[in-house]
Amino acid sequence: MVRTVTALSVALLGFLLIGQGAYIHAKALVAQVLLERAFDESVATGRIVKPWSWADTWPVARIEVKRLHASAIVLAGSSGQALAFGPGHVEQTPDAGERGVAVYAAHRDTHFSFLRDVKPGDDIAVTRRDGRTFHYRVDDHAVVRYDASGIDPRADGYALALTTCWPFNAVTSGPLRYVVHATMVEGRE
Amino acid sequence: MSLYDDIRIEGVAWSGGRALKRMAAAMVPPLFGACGALLLGFAALFVDLRPVWSAESPVTITSPNEARSGALLLKTGDGYTEATRLGIDVDVTVSGPTARARVTQIFRNESKDWVEATYVYPLPEGGAVDTLKMVVGDRVVVGEIKERQQARVIYEQAKRSGHKAALTEQQRPNIFTNAVANIGPGETVLVQIEYQEPVHQSGDTFSLRVPLVVGPRYNPAPVVQSVDLRSDGGGWGAATTDPVPDRDKIAAPVLDPADHAPVNPTQITVRLQAGFPLGEVKSSFHAVNMEAPNASTRIVRLAEGAVPADRDFELTWKAAPGKTPSVGLFREHVGDSDYMLAFVTPPALSEAEQKPRPREVVFVIDNSGSMGGTSIAQAKASLIYALGRLQPNDRFNVIRFDNTMSLLFPDCVPADAEHLDRARSFVGALEAQGGTEMVPAMQAALHDGGVSDNSYVRQVVFLTDGAIGNEQQLFDTIAAMRGRSRVFMVGIGSAPNTFLMTRAAELGRGTFTHIGSVDQVEERMRGLFAKLENPAVTGLSVTFSDAKADLTPAILPDVYRGEPLVLAAKLGQLKGDMEIKGKVGDRPWSVKLPLASAAEGKGLSKLWARRKIADAEVARTVGKATPDAADKTILALALEHHLVTRLTSLVAVDATPSRPDGEPLKLADLPLNLPAGWDFAKVFGEQPKPLAPPSERRADASDGHVQLGLRKHPPVVAPASPIVLPKTATDAELKLLAGAALLMLALMMMVIPRRRLAVR
Repeated sequence: MVRTVTALSVALLGFLLIGQGAYIHAKALVAQVLLERAFDESVATGRIVKPWSWADTWPVARIEVKRLHASAIVLAGSSGQALAFGPGHVEQTPDAGERGVAVYAAHRDTHFSFLRDVKPGDDIAVTRRDGRTFHYRVDDHAVVRYDASGIDPRADGYALALTTCWPFNAVTSGPLRYVVHATMVEGRE
Repeated sequence: MSLYDDIRIEGVAWSGGRALKRMAAAMVPPLFGACGALLLGFAALFVDLRPVWSAESPVTITSPNEARSGALLLKTGDGYTEATRLGIDVDVTVSGPTARARVTQIFRNESKDWVEATYVYPLPEGGAVDTLKMVVGDRVVVGEIKERQQARVIYEQAKRSGHKAALTEQQRPNIFTNAVANIGPGETVLVQIEYQEPVHQSGDTFSLRVPLVVGPRYNPAPVVQSVDLRSDGGGWGAATTDPVPDRDKIAAPVLDPADHAPVNPTQITVRLQAGFPLGEVKSSFHAVNMEAPNASTRIVRLAEGAVPADRDFELTWKAAPGKTPSVGLFREHVGDSDYMLAFVTPPALSEAEQKPRPREVVFVIDNSGSMGGTSIAQAKASLIYALGRLQPNDRFNVIRFDNTMSLLFPDCVPADAEHLDRARSFVGALEAQGGTEMVPAMQAALHDGGVSDNSYVRQVVFLTDGAIGNEQQLFDTIAAMRGRSRVFMVGIGSAPNTFLMTRAAELGRGTFTHIGSVDQVEERMRGLFAKLENPAVTGLSVTFSDAKADLTPAILPDVYRGEPLVLAAKLGQLKGDMEIKGKVGDRPWSVKLPLASAAEGKGLSKLWARRKIADAEVARTVGKATPDAADKTILALALEHHLVTRLTSLVAVDATPSRPDGEPLKLADLPLNLPAGWDFAKVFGEQPKPLAPPSERRADASDGHVQLGLRKHPPVVAPASPIVLPKTATDAELKLLAGAALLMLALMMMVIPRRRLAVR
């Protein structure tokens, strides 16, 4: 009897943890659906549209890598809250399409899991809230410490950096980040 | 062809536009090997920024990490050589409100190789570089203003084709680099730049700064003044005085005066023409000699024997007692426009007015979820500090908001001990959660219940990270409801929404204070309170009776006590009056300046253009102009006024040498004034005996060591605001794995006993 109770409670704990893990993925998935909707409305109306009324953030862009059929809606800011729902546009970096390095960050196990498959030469399309789309070509990737990214957001030229935690299949989080560097393709639009 | 064999083409990173765009990528250490000398030299400044006199030692192999202050780094095949610095001459002429500085430096390439040199130097913030002249060996190059990219392309082409070329770029508003391509072995480089800057005024003190050191990181602390007294040490070569505290970091050996010819020290000459009878004139950090040809003029020179230049040169002056001007008005005619510069110090208030008016302060604190972590701690600490600064006769209230909102008191209450205690415990109990609904909170804060009469100054102190999307709505609220209130935004956290804060403060005629860490709380809040507590000149407006004027700054700020209002304008014609109106405390104040009686000034057009450029940069940050529009404005101004900016560079290419080869350059050919005491023939004539045998020094054991160090620690350019990449891993996987493991365990617990039973 005791054994059954113990087994049941262990099972319950297991379900709870799995539930939590699944919830993180589910949140990431469901949020993207709501975000898609808010973003489309945003592009159509030109206004900021919050995906749900109590949201602390709002969609600012869509990142697409056609070759990998990957797409994600980017949120303003890169606080933990925002990143749970989608990639974040890192504060103090320019918007895509502006001079400097636009930096977007997302979780390695959800929205940016496709980064490991991105190869130099790939095309990354970023659509902004104003509806304009900019294309970037991937130059290379690098692994850096989070506090030594070497990214100067005010650098010359038009560039993009997508970043996520590294290594991809680690279970715990560490100080290393994987950064994909891309340069805007001439003749924007 | 042989020429090509000799020339080492450096700066691979600059070999094309693509490379430029990948500057960020190039900063990553593994790729850094491809980086050009410019980048490296630039890095040197950011990594460590003190000028060090041992840098004067002839041919010191050093890594760019060790370059101090302005330094010319020569890239050779196997490392970096700091060029021999034969002398630096700074010649500043102050005429009324402006200072024009001419900085001349001579370097020599002591190596046996052709090199590219990068010269990195600090300039005062607001300084406008407009002239670059360079003499390399027997060639003279004069800089032309071009769009940055274009200038870079021109420079690269010249470099590849073996021509001598020079390029001046702005890296940060106060950091510039000069790159010089193709300097031959034994050749001497002379670099001269000129810049313009406004004289700084605070209270009754005027000041001028010649930065010999970059950046706030090494700003001289006042304590170092005592060190200055030791400048009688009789020359910098003396081993007894060691002005550089961390000399161990410096690769260069201490110079033995017996082995080395005397090296020219930095010379600084300031011709001070204040335009009014001078009182006290003093150099804050260096010993100087002063001549006084007449009451309003001084000629200031550094005292004999070099003074350690590990700090900026600063000269301050005051008017003779009772002669402090409260108004300065200057004009300059350039092209077909007149330019005007005005300094107006609002009247000091009478004693009775000195007593600060009682204040009614509404503190608003954001406790939404985005403030979680350190942000809320900073906000709470700031607010607690602010409560402590209230005076007994002040009134206050506290409002907290997330997606809900609550007022501590229904209306403002006197700041007595009991109310303050309640406020402290209210603030202490706040926790970060929920969404951010800023507008209702701002409305509540601006709601002027009229509890206090007009003798109170009404201030709103708003602490938030500004993580909201409906910014425009907030701006509209402020614009519509501000009334007599002033809105002071306090940005919390490492990355507050600066756009929101700046704009909100601007609309609320207050200020924006950024608190990035807990230890900044007290210092920043003290600064804020100095402004809150002192009466300011507010509601400023400027009208011109006749002339059409393009005035800068575009938005007139409130002026705090002791600060002058500085205005620059481009005028259609120099006629009529300029009237400035405002309120000092609650008393109306106005002053009329007759434009026609302005005194002749120098370089005002450039100062005007520099400030218009700053205005455009601000408009860009606060979103009033699109980046493209702002860039267009900046580019047009820079090209017209010949200024180096973020978008424009000075480039000089020696395309067709006018002199036959081998013919030495004559003094008459020089398009620049050599500093007094510099003998041209000695500088460029026959090679004087080398100051030290380069070969020996280069064979030094430390040589290889330094190169190794260079390979091991590629310098990384520190970005102005380094981007910290956010944490981007969830514990989803971990939880899934742990959950699955627990389920397996449970299953085993259930299954195993049954099997045992079955067996039995």
